[in-house]
Amino acid sequence: MTASRNPAATARMTGRIVFAAALGLLAAACSGKGGDAPAAKDGRMPQSQVVRFGAGSSSEGERLYGRECAFCHAGRNTGTIMLGRRMEPDKAELHKRTDLDADYVKTVARKGLVNMPPFSRVEVTDEELDKIAAWLADKGRAR
Amino acid sequence: MSAPLPGKLSPDGFAKALDAFRGAIGKQWVLDGEEDRQTYIDPYALGDGLNHDCSAIAAPASTDEVRAIVRLANEHKVPLWPVSRGKNLGYGGASPMERGNVILDLSRMNKVVEVDAKQAYCVIEPGVSFFDLYNHLADNKLPLWMSTPGNSWGSVLGNALDRGIGYTPYGDHCEQICGIEAVLPDGDLIRTGMGAMAKGAGWQHYKYGYGPGWDQMFFQSNLGVVTQAGLWLQPEPEMTAKVELAFPKFDDAEWAIDALADLRRRDVIQHNIVFGSPVRAASTQSQRADWYDGPGAIPDSACEKMIQKLGIGWWNAKINLFGHAATVKAQIELIRGIFEKRIGKELKFETWEQGDPPDKSARGIPSTLGLQSVNWYGGRGGHLSFAPVMPSDGKLILDYARKIKAYYEKVGQDYYASFTIGRRHVNNVSLILYNRDDPAMVDRVDKLYRHLVAEAAAQGFGEYRGHISYMGLIADTFDFNDHALRRLNDKVKACLDPNNIIAPGRNGIGVRA
Repeated sequence: MTASRNPAATARMTGRIVFAAALGLLAAACSGKGGDAPAAKDGRMPQSQVVRFGAGSSSEGERLYGRECAFCHAGRNTGTIMLGRRMEPDKAELHKRTDLDADYVKTVARKGLVNMPPFSRVEVTDEELDKIAAWLADKGRAR
Repeated sequence: MSAPLPGKLSPDGFAKALDAFRGAIGKQWVLDGEEDRQTYIDPYALGDGLNHDCSAIAAPASTDEVRAIVRLANEHKVPLWPVSRGKNLGYGGASPMERGNVILDLSRMNKVVEVDAKQAYCVIEPGVSFFDLYNHLADNKLPLWMSTPGNSWGSVLGNALDRGIGYTPYGDHCEQICGIEAVLPDGDLIRTGMGAMAKGAGWQHYKYGYGPGWDQMFFQSNLGVVTQAGLWLQPEPEMTAKVELAFPKFDDAEWAIDALADLRRRDVIQHNIVFGSPVRAASTQSQRADWYDGPGAIPDSACEKMIQKLGIGWWNAKINLFGHAATVKAQIELIRGIFEKRIGKELKFETWEQGDPPDKSARGIPSTLGLQSVNWYGGRGGHLSFAPVMPSDGKLILDYARKIKAYYEKVGQDYYASFTIGRRHVNNVSLILYNRDDPAMVDRVDKLYRHLVAEAAAQGFGEYRGHISYMGLIADTFDFNDHALRRLNDKVKACLDPNNIIAPGRNGIGVRA
């Protein structure tokens, strides 16, 4: 979501960051005692956390990834299950990948891939997609 | 491939219309290039989907911009296909029924206009997704819960307006709508119910207003463009409990549906109940080839393997309980008393109380896990939903399920059934899964779907919702008094939308030759 496009949504996003930051503190406070939310049976992130993915991040790319991609590509969801069938388990979630190229991410998002539907430029603008792709690719370089 | 033209427009006339649209909402938000149009092709299309290709996309950001586009569409005779977010997967996605319509994409209208925590409602725009609303409630720490459908990627309002369903007490999504704002086909703006008053203080509190209630006019229809609506939300309960019931035999459907429907009618179970077959359970966590790789429909022996390995039954129901702790605990005991002896297993409820992690609760948390089922056959998959409404009678449904299963097997597609049990009806949501790039399978699916609609109609069971490729076929089955409903719908359509510019042909209304 771009700030310029929808002020109301930006206000919501700001609120989301504050709330998620509070959650993060809570989780940190609980660490060592099992945490606030239980891990799913397969060790993946619970769905209530998938839905909030990236909300506390200072990176707009990560926040956008959380809003537009994580619901399929984090936790036990359609994207991770499908990728998990043909890649190593630790590569099933996109945010854990270190081999993603920004242009590749953009092409897949616009064209779709096998069962992944394409994203229109209304749903995710070029500017937003650039930020998502850069974040996914930079993560790889940082490691 | 060149873009189709809308209606009877010439290329020049269409270019003028698009220029006018650009002038109204900005150049960036009117898209007619090949690559942009491709992103609106139904990802589950039977085949390449080009038979439902659009001519362009217009994406307004406000009610005023919608009104401007609708007025210009009348002036230039451009048919519009409104979508809230375009994620009506299994029913055509964003694609128009009539090839060449301009898609009116309302995704940018994604404001949560208002949430009233005390009265437990919100007012939202059509672009608000289930994820958006969940996060808005979480951001603002509002103790309000929402119902979510199997695919939560789409619009809250879009799903409700197509009468989508979820599995909490607020799961009959169209029932939760209270107060609609809509742009009429001539560009006029109306608010329904108490919102018809300029001050309208009771708009989200009382559904009916004064005189006829017009809200249903905007459900599954083409008589306006909904630009915002009120939605009732569930106040966070004190306690929830959830359990999965596994009924081991196919024939258990008769007694189990009768027992569950009785509990539903009495509101012991406050939500519509999923009652699904092994392929339904297996398709969200595995592929067909994991169980059977042969030709034809999947055999019962493979379903038995699923039952053993996944620890499920031939039929599987999920029950969620919500309320004060004493009530929920009493309901747990009641349900255990009814089912444990007959199933021969102890029922293990997972309970949640205020303060526990949300995933333990029976609340709706948005997810897209259900979309996994389209990978059943491999390749680019899709599903088509065959979903007739039937009386909730166990014997009737068992007999029907037996007949339908036999027909799936005759045609050679895997039987996937889910009966959603309401108070007095059962909605047989049976998905037909397919690989959209396998032409022989696509032909089989088309044949199967047409047969099922006709077979259901012969017994008096009509579809609750329709795919863009079959809207006319389904409308034909509503044939009382030589299709009196169609005559009424078409009269109203012609009166309100003389240029037939809002979604011509949707649900069989205003079909053009």
